[in-house]
Amino acid sequence: MRVANKTIYDTVTYNLGSCIQEMNKANEIVSSGKRINNLSDDPVGLTQALEIKSAISNLEQMQRNISRGNTWLASSESALTHVQDIISETKTLCIQMANATIDSTQRLSTAGTVQNLFDEIVSLANTNIAGSYIFSGSKTDTTPFSEDGTYKGNSNAFTVKIGKDTTVEVGSDGGALFEDILRTMDGLKTSLTDNYLEGIQDAMSDLDGHFDDISAKISDVGSKMNRMDVKEKIFEDIIFANTERRSKIEDADMAGAIMELKAREFAYQAALSSSAKLMALTLMDYME
Amino acid sequence: MSSLGMVLNIATTALAAQQYGMDVTAHNIANVNTEGYSRQSPTLEPKQALLYQGMLLGRGVETEQVTRSVDQFVENKLMQEKSSMLSSQEMEKYMQVMEGIFSENSGTSISSMLSDYWNLWNDISNNPSGSSERTALYEHSVLMSNQFKSLGSDLTQIQIDITNAVTVGVERINQITSEIAQINVKIIGMEANSVANDLRDKRNVLVSELNEYLDIKAFEQSNHSLTIISVSGCTLVQGDGNYELEMGGSNGDRVRWQNSAGNYVDITNYITNGKLGGLLDIRDKIISKYKLDLDEMAKEFIWSVNQQHSQGVGLEGFSAGTGTCDVLNSGEELGTLESGLDYYEKISDGNFNLWVYDSNGAVVGESAKVIPIDADTTLSSLIIDINAVDNISASITTDGKLMIDADSGYTFAFSDDTSNVLAALGVNTFFSGSTAGDISVNSGIVADKNHIAAARIDAATGEFAVGDNDNALAMTDLQYTSMDISQWTCDRINGNTKGSVTTTIEDYYHSMVGSIGIVSSSISRDTEFNEMMVNELNTLRNSISAVSLDEEMTNLIKYQHAYQAAAKLITVSDEMLNTLISAI
Repeated sequence: MRVANKTIYDTVTYNLGSCIQEMNKANEIVSSGKRINNLSDDPVGLTQALEIKSAISNLEQMQRNISRGNTWLASSESALTHVQDIISETKTLCIQMANATIDSTQRLSTAGTVQNLFDEIVSLANTNIAGSYIFSGSKTDTTPFSEDGTYKGNSNAFTVKIGKDTTVEVGSDGGALFEDILRTMDGLKTSLTDNYLEGIQDAMSDLDGHFDDISAKISDVGSKMNRMDVKEKIFEDIIFANTERRSKIEDADMAGAIMELKAREFAYQAALSSSAKLMALTLMDYME
Repeated sequence: MSSLGMVLNIATTALAAQQYGMDVTAHNIANVNTEGYSRQSPTLEPKQALLYQGMLLGRGVETEQVTRSVDQFVENKLMQEKSSMLSSQEMEKYMQVMEGIFSENSGTSISSMLSDYWNLWNDISNNPSGSSERTALYEHSVLMSNQFKSLGSDLTQIQIDITNAVTVGVERINQITSEIAQINVKIIGMEANSVANDLRDKRNVLVSELNEYLDIKAFEQSNHSLTIISVSGCTLVQGDGNYELEMGGSNGDRVRWQNSAGNYVDITNYITNGKLGGLLDIRDKIISKYKLDLDEMAKEFIWSVNQQHSQGVGLEGFSAGTGTCDVLNSGEELGTLESGLDYYEKISDGNFNLWVYDSNGAVVGESAKVIPIDADTTLSSLIIDINAVDNISASITTDGKLMIDADSGYTFAFSDDTSNVLAALGVNTFFSGSTAGDISVNSGIVADKNHIAAARIDAATGEFAVGDNDNALAMTDLQYTSMDISQWTCDRINGNTKGSVTTTIEDYYHSMVGSIGIVSSSISRDTEFNEMMVNELNTLRNSISAVSLDEEMTNLIKYQHAYQAAAKLITVSDEMLNTLISAI
């Protein structure tokens, strides 16, 4: 084929242009460390990466929700365990006071101890985490129990979301939990004050029932905490796997990318030097 | 009659012919870098021989004509390919801008903002009474609304930029067609005798530049003038006249052609090639699609959030409240287009509970006022129904919004809206607006973050608690909820059509971004392919038509030697004449 000067210039321009474009692309990948720098680099991969990114963001939020729920559950557990201790302690007192050798003065003074224990239960039922009462149902800003043991919360339990379609009750209806216990404690106090032995014995059997109720509640809270821990571990694994997947899609294989850049650089240099040689040639150099 | 004089004559024609050759060579060398120039070469022919003493004797040389080395097929093919190349190059340029706008490399992309939006609702569900969580959600929602708006306005801006580029293109087209018409006149005049090579080259350059802007067809008439016809059969050049294009239409963004009767013909949608084809394709087919899709996504996002929000209640009831949506005609049924509501289609038969509380927070009348909504409900009839409730008055603002006021000391709230009418009127909603361009946080929430509705009213008692997160939890479910979201297909010839996909808001956006990437990469591939084709054809064209300096140098030597030889002829015949003369 006939080669005109313009052919040479055009070819050189075109080839050097594509060489430098390729080199620029390779450099972009190496310097950003990412395979996908523009939407068009790998649209399908990008869409996947976006989905993974939003899934990770959601799972991290679920972990925060779980951590929030765990704080509530741990506080509940601790408060309930204390209440349970108080119930045992009260029961021990009942056993002692039910003894026929105990006189009314001793019973009267024990009534004072029971009042203290009553107050303690009220105070535990009024446990507050960062401004929220955990035994107040959803009226988290209302102190659930007044001094005399009246419940002012509601019967809805506070819940947190720990996954799509999954919520866990982490707060409690304090009324259902503590009202009966407080009533029994109050009755016991009256029986002690009135030196009413039968009342003390009734209270003793009621306390057994309350002890079991609180035990059941503690194990319920414990099992919820377990469930949350398991969930959290699963989420952690999924986040890890997703992060890895995202990196595989988005991140550049550095060794490959650098090799590519080197190869492009070499091609560019070769094109430059051959072009320079070709363009310098002219018949005029050989005419005098 | 053979004579020394004849030798001199022959030598003179030789000198003239070689000199002519050198002229053409010089002209070629001078135009080595001229765009569109085709190398020329003289066609030499022996002069008509004369019969002399029974023999035919040659009488020297003459230059028959100067021809251009042109392959019209290659020229035409090159022109076509160049036109496609420029079209896809223009598209590629604007797609890069699009990619920048939808870039995911920043933290301010809509996709990460959407994730954060749902996360912030989770935070509120974890602490419904907390004011910092509410403020965080509010601030983020303002940022996200602005991001939606700036995406929308960026897309509009590109379309405006493109229209400006088209306008500049149209001006250039008119210049070119007028120049071609002028050259037509000159060629008609000159080619009565010979071929006007350089004028033809010049006209070719203009035609090829015209072809860079839009689709054209060029025909040479018998008088050697060029007729140029573009899309829809509109004539741009005929003989010595040209027909201008102009920008017109209601937005000044349509390309129109004025016919001889003075009527305008809109040819915008038929221009498919050249720079204008690319610009119009990207404006009316690609950007317009993503702009519509973005609006559809914003519309469904705003609706789903508002619909859920209107079911809930904040930390306190309202003492007064105004809807965000305008009703054009308060006498029209709300569920019809005529009402002027953006979300009229979402309204269905049903009812909602209106709860009124006294200053102690006790429910007035001890139960909810149930407001029924059916197909006949108009804004006026709704207002009559609401006004029937004690301690509450409703009215229409001057711009057609529903306004509800409670008597002093009283508050009100809503629950269990099965008709969607509250969300459609923008009452107790989170966002106002219905497109990417007008999304904002409801001014009621801007004024008081306590109106972010995390709780729900107990349908039996009318009570609501600050620690209730029922509505916030329902809100966080929206991120997993698939909904029908419209998706557009834009076609310049057949018009835009609306389909629908069932997906979550986030996935809709993800696939939208992915699809922009796919379109962009396919345009880049087209461009690369077209550039390669043009390069190949250019090489082919150059091999036929372009000047080679080496060749011209060789020709120079060729003509120089011939010239020297012809000059020698004159010297020799001069010496012979001298010999003759001195012999006398």
